Amino acid sequence: MSTVFKQQKSKRDKAEGIVEKSKDDTPVFRNKQRVLLLSSRGITSRHRHLLTDLGDLLPHAKKDAKLDSKSKLHIINELAELNNCNNCIFFEVRKRQDLYMWLSKTPNGPSVKFHIQNIHTMEELKMTGNCLKGSRHILSFDKNFESSPHWQLMKELFTQVFGIPKTARRIKPFVDHILSFSIVDNRVWFRNYQITEKPLEHRSATDTTDLTLVEIGPRFVMNPIRVFDGSFGGQTAFENPEFVSPNVARANIRNAKAGRYKSRMEAIAKKDEKLKEAEMPEDPLSENNVFA
Amino acid sequence: MSDSESDNEQRLTLEDLEGSDTEMLSGDEDGPIDIVPEQRITINNEPALKRLREQIALPKDIPWSETQSITSTQAVNVADPDDDLNREVAFYNQALEAAIMGRDRIRKEGGVFERPGDYFAEMIKTDDHMAKIRQRLLDENASIEASERAKAQRELKKFGKKVQTEKRLEREKAKADALDKITALKKKRQGNDNTTNADDDFDVALASDDEEMKSYKTGDPNSKKRSSTSTHESRGKRSKKDQKFGFGGKKRFGKSNDANSSADVSGFSVKRNKSTSFKSGHKAHKAGGSAKKGGAAKQRPGKGRRQNGAGRK
Repeated sequence: MSTVFKQQKSKRDKAEGIVEKSKDDTPVFRNKQRVLLLSSRGITSRHRHLLTDLGDLLPHAKKDAKLDSKSKLHIINELAELNNCNNCIFFEVRKRQDLYMWLSKTPNGPSVKFHIQNIHTMEELKMTGNCLKGSRHILSFDKNFESSPHWQLMKELFTQVFGIPKTARRIKPFVDHILSFSIVDNRVWFRNYQITEKPLEHRSATDTTDLTLVEIGPRFVMNPIRVFDGSFGGQTAFENPEFVSPNVARANIRNAKAGRYKSRMEAIAKKDEKLKEAEMPEDPLSENNVFA
Repeated sequence: MSDSESDNEQRLTLEDLEGSDTEMLSGDEDGPIDIVPEQRITINNEPALKRLREQIALPKDIPWSETQSITSTQAVNVADPDDDLNREVAFYNQALEAAIMGRDRIRKEGGVFERPGDYFAEMIKTDDHMAKIRQRLLDENASIEASERAKAQRELKKFGKKVQTEKRLEREKAKADALDKITALKKKRQGNDNTTNADDDFDVALASDDEEMKSYKTGDPNSKKRSSTSTHESRGKRSKKDQKFGFGGKKRFGKSNDANSSADVSGFSVKRNKSTSFKSGHKAHKAGGSAKKGGAAKQRPGKGRRQNGAGRK
């Protein structure tokens, strides 16, 4: 029994980046991150393109087939284990229009659920930047990420999921792009820039640096909904009070429209009643009555 | 991580949760006290979040190049998230700062940063995609140029129209001058016939006239030859005839009444209408009776007599 336990433990340690001892018997840390990238069924083309964009940007990601179930998300943990992944990006599409993204440390969590808005994929953005496929990027975080614990946790998650480990197999040795995460309006805005060096003759006197950035894409905004204790479940450690479900937003719009119709109908009914009230009682001395 | 440890954690988080819940329910001291009953109790379990972070955090003593993550020195502060330009500039500045810092740190740690010019590898955007982007840029430029050219053309057209109207006005003015000259000439001739003083103005106008006019004045037959540049006034008879019989324009219904002519009462005289002589004269004329009746001063003679009489006069 104990051998089985040891085996499992070493496997888990491997997955979590705590690797076997080196020659001089001190554990050498290696940042081993692998990301499982998959979506639920019912994904739209735009969401699919965003997924492939992320897959292109992250050489340490492993794509998997669409997941059938939306209720039993915990099976993703097993899927991740099968694929030797210790992180997961899961695109959950609801009603063929709303995209939710789960970022999770499998198998033990934590996990964060985001609502993805304002999606512009690399293909449609017509941006002029370009970079090597699989080059390691710099991750740039806004200082706002230090402001509160849930942002700090998200920053840690982003660093591990979006940061490409040195030892990933498909990486290229240069750094030519940068992923930037900024917090504006209580949402996380994602941008991807190419780093280019400006030749000396093109530099103006006001330029402080020879570096310029050209945006590559994609663009999207992540609105955090909840932070869970476990991976794809568990207790909620944080809930965004400002989050409005897209269903509610749509219902509000519909209700506003329905309200317009209702008020119009009420006005018509009111007018009819008014006209009825204004009708005079029959005059006993009217011509019709006198000469009947 | 043993089972007992995870149990302990579970319990800890529950406690944390309860604490935070009660905190939320009690509300802030300076905040609104009248909490709406169905208000959602939001969860922000800070100790649990901190614990979770510590649970997954990478060791602190690893080289920076393992993660390559940089936190900006200044927080992005965008007042209006809908203001695209300012927002993107803020993001750009944040990323640029990180790029500069990142390059320094990579170089410090002995890594390579920039890609050499002769290093070719698969790019994230394919050549097809980049060609499309380039084409789109070119198209955009071309469309901008085309619209600018069209704008210039429109300006030119507007200006051309101005020139055209000027020319037309000039021509009209010249025509009006010519007509003036004709009238002046007529008056002059009348004045000569009646031996009244000709107007000085007309003299001045005529003094500047050309040779033809002079010859007309003097009655020189040699210069009466019709030239190719014959003007209205050089064709006196013709113009007279045109005046009499009409020249150009619509010929039909010229003499028939229309709305204007029937509404025209300028020829109507109340006096004549009331005078009995008119009525009686009218009747008498119709009946073919005697013309000397009432105060009818003058009876219009018959057509034959009129024509004959006109000859005799």
